[in-house]
Amino acid sequence: MKKATSFTLHHFDKVNKETFTRLHNLGLYDGETIRLIQRYPFHGPVIIENNHQRIALRYQVFATLTGE
Amino acid sequence: MEIALIGNPNTGKTTLFNSLTNNYATTGNWTGVTVAQKIGKLKHATAKVIDLPGVYSLTPLTKDEEVVTLYLLDHQPDLILNVTNASQLKRNLLLTLEVREFGQPMILNLNMIDDLKRQGQAYDFTTLSHLLGCPVMATNARNQDGVKELDHALQNEPAPLAPLDLDYPPMVKQAIRQATEALVEKYELPASTARWLTIQYMNQNKVVRRAVAFRNLQPLLKMRAYYDAQHFEEKIFNTRLDFIETILASAKKNLGDQKPKEFSNKVDKIITNPILGLPIFALIFLLIFELSFDWIGTPLSDALDSFISGPVSTTVSHWLIVAGALPPLRSLVVNGIIAGVGGVLVFVPQIVVLFACISILEDSGYMARAALVTDRIMQTIGLNGKSFIPLIIGFGCNVTGIMAARTIEQPKERLVTTLISPFMSCSARLPIYSLVVAAFFPKHQALVVLSIYFLGIVVALAVAKGYQLFFHTTDSSVFIVELPEYHLPRFDVIWQGTWDKSKGFIRKAGTVIFAGSVLIWLMSSFGVSGFVTDPTKSFAANLGQGLAPILAPLGITHWQVISALFTGVLAKEVITSSMMVMFHATNQAALIGALGTYMTPVAAYALLAFILLYSPCFATLGTIKQETGSTKWMLWSLALSLMIAYVVAAVIYLGGTLIFG
Repeated sequence: MKKATSFTLHHFDKVNKETFTRLHNLGLYDGETIRLIQRYPFHGPVIIENNHQRIALRYQVFATLTGE
Repeated sequence: MEIALIGNPNTGKTTLFNSLTNNYATTGNWTGVTVAQKIGKLKHATAKVIDLPGVYSLTPLTKDEEVVTLYLLDHQPDLILNVTNASQLKRNLLLTLEVREFGQPMILNLNMIDDLKRQGQAYDFTTLSHLLGCPVMATNARNQDGVKELDHALQNEPAPLAPLDLDYPPMVKQAIRQATEALVEKYELPASTARWLTIQYMNQNKVVRRAVAFRNLQPLLKMRAYYDAQHFEEKIFNTRLDFIETILASAKKNLGDQKPKEFSNKVDKIITNPILGLPIFALIFLLIFELSFDWIGTPLSDALDSFISGPVSTTVSHWLIVAGALPPLRSLVVNGIIAGVGGVLVFVPQIVVLFACISILEDSGYMARAALVTDRIMQTIGLNGKSFIPLIIGFGCNVTGIMAARTIEQPKERLVTTLISPFMSCSARLPIYSLVVAAFFPKHQALVVLSIYFLGIVVALAVAKGYQLFFHTTDSSVFIVELPEYHLPRFDVIWQGTWDKSKGFIRKAGTVIFAGSVLIWLMSSFGVSGFVTDPTKSFAANLGQGLAPILAPLGITHWQVISALFTGVLAKEVITSSMMVMFHATNQAALIGALGTYMTPVAAYALLAFILLYSPCFATLGTIKQETGSTKWMLWSLALSLMIAYVVAAVIYLGGTLIFG
């Protein structure tokens, strides 16, 4: 089965304050839909796309926000 | 008149600054290239233009972001030029609203307007201007579209603007009003400043909170707990976001034909590929080293060396004889100054090529990808990919590398990055590497130099791992990196960036290297009995011979080399000029010949490792003190470097001697 590429972001209360602020800075808010572009092996960073911009973030943060 | 440039990272702010001003600053497609404010003068007027570091909001997370808030706390610029990326206006407007609340005259600049068109969108400028209460102008700074019109607008006297008054929830509004009135009444602050300060304080801006505590502004201090308990920060953010949604809904126009970012996406498929990303990263650096040391840099350096040691040296010597100069003076000029300063200047071509390559990486947008592909490795040592950028910049100069670490959000990660930066092999160490590899490893020069660079990286990573265990750094790391679109590097931007980085090296040739050469000449020409013709009786020989037993286990036994190492703490370039002077070499070839007879290739490699690691230069030590705010960290950095250098060089020498004999 093909893995999902679209995710809705939630659980912003579960990331640390700095990460929360930076996500907001880059236009990533609760309820925002993003597209997963790239994963890296060994739970390395992921690339997501939102509003025509690509952003790299740690897998742990991605997993927390998407509930993956 | 003072104009401040404020905007998000990756909005082309510094490129615009370069186009508008006579003076230029280093531009880059990587957050943090503007690590401190840069000042220029408007081309067609006397106005001063200040380029501030890129920030996402006035609530700073990093040290370089603090610069903007600190600037606004201390200055009232006559005009603020808010540069935005037109294709990312939604998030850029968050900063715009904060700046508009500040109340000084402002022009909103929608830069990179072509990217917006490619998304099949446009904005109605009249609506934007009406809702935000400020003029709006579009540009595409990379190809100069709209820059002339913006330049004209900046030359006019700015019209006063009323601060933006957002419709915050009633309880926030009431609290803003009460605090503002009290600040105006008790502390005689201007109403607009008091209001902006109050909103920023409620928004948990740590720089503003520090300033308010320092000035003991009681109306805000006594309400702090209330503001936080009522989640004013969240309420302010939501109001701003709603306002932005309203603006965009009113001003946005869909043009229909959307063209995806095919070029960037196609390149990224290869460059950031999970398997190929790291090998490509290594290949790019191998290419840079080949260009600098084998293909372009070295042939040009050789030509320059022949010129300085040949016609220049001979002509000056001839004129000094004709003028009747005494032998010691002739020796000072020819063997001291020309050999010393010239011996370092001949490496300018190699350094320029290296800096040009780093500038291309910065301007193209690759640096952000380098942070991405290295993040997983950096995670294992308690850092993140963002730390890799200051380390790469450290290849140019450790001082700028340490300054670039200001972009790291987490304080402990920033400290560790600062402390490991001196292990990155800066360009000042190149001249001595080039000499040693030419003398001992002529067929594999680029590879041997590359191996020294990698040794620096390995030591830096190992030390970082040690700090991770010591500091018990947890998962509090922040790694969120915007991947800007790729740009074909522009020649003028690369040229300016290269010159900006190289001029420090050339300037040093005229100052510290000049002084160092004279000092070394004095030390090697004078001894306890005065002027000596036999250098083994000089002060430099005494110093070198005194330290020789300590460095003997590393294979470094000759006093000339030891004295040169001693002077290298002043500035690394001085090692080369010192050797030129002390070996009485008139050109590179003579010094290479002299070195070749003094040590084995294994000892030479141990010497390279020792030079790489043994001590940060004075300027770097000063920067460590400045950035960590602690003399202890600076002294620790010096002591640790010496210990590591000694152990690593000893292991290389003893191990190498055992294997190769």
